[in-house]
Order: sequence, then structure tokens, then C-alpha cells
Amino acid sequence: MMLLIWLVMTLFFLSSSISYELTTKTEHMPDIILTQTKAGREGFVDEKIVDHILEIEGVSRAYAYIKAPYQFKEDISFTIFGVDPFEEIDDPFIAHLLERYNLESGSMLVSHDVKELMKKAYYTKEFNFIRPDGSLKRVQIAKEFDTKNAPHYRWLIVMSKEDARDILGLAGSEATNIAIDVANKLETPLIAAKLKEYYPNAKVVTKKEQKLLYEQSFNFYSGTFLILFSITLLTFFIIIYDRLSGMSSEERREIGILKAIGWRIEDVLGAKFYEAFFIAVFSYIAGVSIAYLYVFYLKAPLLGNIFLHDAFLQTQQFSLAPHIEFFYLFLVFLLVVPLYFAAVIIPAWRVATLDADEVMR
Amino acid sequence: MIRLEGVTKEYAGGVYALREIDLELREGELVVLKGVSGSGKSTILSLIAGLSKPSKGRVVVDGKEISRLPDHFCATFRRDNIGIIFQKYNLIADLSVAENILLPLYPANLPKGELQKRLKQLLETFHIEDKQESLVKSLSGGQQQRVAIARAKINHPKIILADEPTANLDEKLSREFIEILKNLKSQNRTIIIATHDPLFFDLDFVDRYITLQHGKIVDDNT
Repeated sequence: MMLLIWLVMTLFFLSSSISYELTTKTEHMPDIILTQTKAGREGFVDEKIVDHILEIEGVSRAYAYIKAPYQFKEDISFTIFGVDPFEEIDDPFIAHLLERYNLESGSMLVSHDVKELMKKAYYTKEFNFIRPDGSLKRVQIAKEFDTKNAPHYRWLIVMSKEDARDILGLAGSEATNIAIDVANKLETPLIAAKLKEYYPNAKVVTKKEQKLLYEQSFNFYSGTFLILFSITLLTFFIIIYDRLSGMSSEERREIGILKAIGWRIEDVLGAKFYEAFFIAVFSYIAGVSIAYLYVFYLKAPLLGNIFLHDAFLQTQQFSLAPHIEFFYLFLVFLLVVPLYFAAVIIPAWRVATLDADEVMR
Repeated sequence: MIRLEGVTKEYAGGVYALREIDLELREGELVVLKGVSGSGKSTILSLIAGLSKPSKGRVVVDGKEISRLPDHFCATFRRDNIGIIFQKYNLIADLSVAENILLPLYPANLPKGELQKRLKQLLETFHIEDKQESLVKSLSGGQQQRVAIARAKINHPKIILADEPTANLDEKLSREFIEILKNLKSQNRTIIIATHDPLFFDLDFVDRYITLQHGKIVDDNT
């Protein structure tokens, strides 16, 4: 039973953690993100077009920013975020970082996980980035920051725009994206359409479209989740049905012995109640705890791949940060504990009400 | 002390275990019920213990008509007055020796000190002090038998019923059991043994030999 609870709770923890992270990711996104494409591939965008975009009726704000992945290892990419300390930053997390730490050219702020990874590669005070032309760019590690409350920034590196451009191979006026905010959110699709018209080579994604993209990708894997969940539940119900349909001869004999030595029906049922309580509650607590450790500390090896196997979800670099929805905890408790109690008490009651002689025969 | 009046026990399918039995056993008597398998010996023990009800007739134990008592009272009566030693010991394999011995007293809610006192006394009597934490499944047949007897004695019963107590023991252990029986008899308990073991048939401390055949008493030799 503990195994089943572990499996169900693992699935719930995985799904709620991923869906929570997806929600947080889109929370502080601008209304529209514009990316330039060149020959069908994502390229860099010239900051100069910001002025033109600002002239579009309904656009309240537009700014260029640098945010791009930097491949560190096969399966890990850092996210380099280039900032200008004199510009306003929308993202409260990054804004807060810049308030706390002084960022100078040639230095960077790295997340705790990035720092740890660099340390493993023997970089403790600085890191040598490889430019697109193969030369090295050395950047000092100024500070490390914690991402417990912003798990989607687990692999973030914040540095000056100049350094970011240098590492990513951007020209002086180039950025990776342009963020556009719209005064009247209802006009977002209209402004997105205008942008597509003005910049036919640009990729224009609205916040709603981005959210949908995340959700669709996640929902696809939720199907697998549902299948697994149904199989687990079915297994549990089969076990319960098996228990309800009768006790084993050994269990019957034990009840017979207890009755023969002077236990009353209520004594037998009381003992069975404690037994069921102990097993059910212990299995529940142990199952939930192990699932918690498995998902949030061990990062769900094997099972996690069901959700994170998709290339898109993988590039989002989920940290599987602890996020618990108490509704699911309660749901599993309700599904498992009372049913298990019934499956123990009802057959025991059936046997205990028979003559001890008949039970032991 | 124990009276069976016109007792008949019929099992499902029309099988008669006892037919119109009349029997009276006095306090402190040691009685051996003899007979082949299926003669009704175990059924008499079962009726006296209130483990089953007669199809006809009355069973009166210590002034109480046990055959009419509801299950709840029968259990309490058994707990307070009767100790049973089963043929296959009927111990709970996954419990320790101490837990098995104390099992009849758990529902009685006796103080822990009292439970420990009784347990210690019995463990010493039956020389199994060093085994009290062992699981019974790890014990030898003789040791299990002693645990079963200790369990039957823990509630200080007036009546001890033993159903084929030596069926699973070798001769040496069977003789040991007989010694224990002799000791129990000296404590003035009423003891009824159902057996077909010849070792019991010539014991000077047995008060009565009752022979059963096809559910009827064919011989009552005092």
C-alpha cells in the first residue's frame, strides 16, 4: 500500500510542481516578446527598432533585453541575462538582485546551483566563457544568490549587457528579444498583428500564446500521468476488493484463537482497528514523505522523465521545486485510508461474529 | 461444576458430533475423554468453553447456562474462567512468547505490573524465561506446548481444557506434559483432557476416564 501511495503522490507532486513553475514563469512576462528570425532561425534583434515600436498606438513600453541560453554541459544550459543597471527591470526577482548587489562590468551574479556546478569544474572565483569564435571570456563571480523562491531561475547568470553581448556574440546594438507592454491588454492581439506586419521576419509571441504553449506541452504529458494514475488506483481497488471478499485462512485462524482465549467481538475489532490505523497512517505518511524526497530532493529519477522528456519541457529547465497542493494530499488520504479501514474491519467483523469453533475448523 | 444435559450437536450436512449426552463433572476433577477421532471429544470441550452452542440440550458451567449466553458474555466467561490448550498449540506465530502468553489478558486492562508479575511467574514455572522475546515460530514443539499451557494459565482459570495436547509431541515431551498436568491437578483445578494418547490411560492421578463412541458416552470409569 505504501508503494501505491508513493506512486500516486509522486505523480501529484511532479505535476503540481511543474504546473506551478510554468505559472510562475509566465507571471512576469511582458505582453509581447519579439524575436528576430534570420533564414528561419532565431537571430538577434537590433535595439534601434524599439523607438519605432514605441510609436505604435497602444504600446505603453518597449525595451530590448538580452536573455539567452549558454550550453554548459550536454544536459545543462545556463541562462545569461544581460542587464543595464540604469534601466528599469520588470522581473521583480532580477530587480531585487540588482538592488542588493552591485554589478560591475566583468563580473556576474550566479545562482547557487550555477555556483555549485562551476565549483565542480574548479571555477570558484571566475569562469571562462567560450565566445562563438572559440576565444575565452573571463568573468568574475561577484555573488551567488538563492533561487528557492524562484525555482525557474535555478540556472540564471546575471551580468552586464556588454559582457553578455561579448559572450553571446552580439553586436553593440543587438539584443536577443524585445519586450513590449500594451496599455489595454485586450488590444494585445491587434498590436501583435501590427508587429508581424511591420517586421515580417520577426517572431511575435504574446503572453497568452506563450502560456498556451507551456500548457499544451504539459497537458500532453498529463495524459500519461492520468493513465499511470488510473492504473495505480485500479491496482489499489483490486487489493481492497480482494481483502473485502475474504480473509486468508491464517487471519481467520488468528481471530478464532483470540475468540477462543476470551476476546469479545469488540476486542477483536478494536485490535483490527488499531492494526488498520497503524498500517494505513504509517503507509500514508511514509508514502507521502518518500514521494516528497524522491521528487523534490532526488529530482524524480526515471518517473520524472515521463513529464520532462519532451525537449520543450527540458529546455525550460525545471528545478522541481517543492510545491504541495494540499487538496491532493487530502484526496489521496480520503481515497486510501477509509477504504483500507473498511477492507480490514468488514472481513474481520464477518469472521469475528461466527462461533470461534467454526472459525478455527 | 460442569453439567451437560441432553446435549446434541449437529453440524451442517446432518453430521452428528454428539447425541443426547448427559454428563456431570465435579470441581477439581481431572477427567480424560477417550475415543477415536470423530467420537465427539473435542466437541464436548468446545461446548464447555462456549466456543459453539449445542443444537439441543443445556450446558451449565459454574452455575451459568453457557449454552444460552450471548457471544459477548461467553467470551468474558471464557476469559475469566477457562484456559484452553489446543492440539496444534494455536499460538500466533508472529508474536513473541511473552505476547502470546499475555494475549488472553489484553482486553482485561489489568495494570502493567500485574501482567508482568503473572508473566514472570509462568515463564519461570515453564523454564522459558530466556525465550520470552523470541517469536514462537522459532521455538521447538515442546517449547511451544509450554507457551500454550502458560497462556492457558495466565488468567488463573478454574477450568483447564486440553484438546489432544500431546498429539504433536514425542514421548519424552508427552511425559513432561503429564508432569505439568499432575502439578496443575495439585492446584485443585478442574481439568478435562480429550485424547487418544495411550500414555494418559494409566495415570494414577486421573479421576475419571470417559469413553466416547459415535457421539455417545459408552464408558464412564471413575
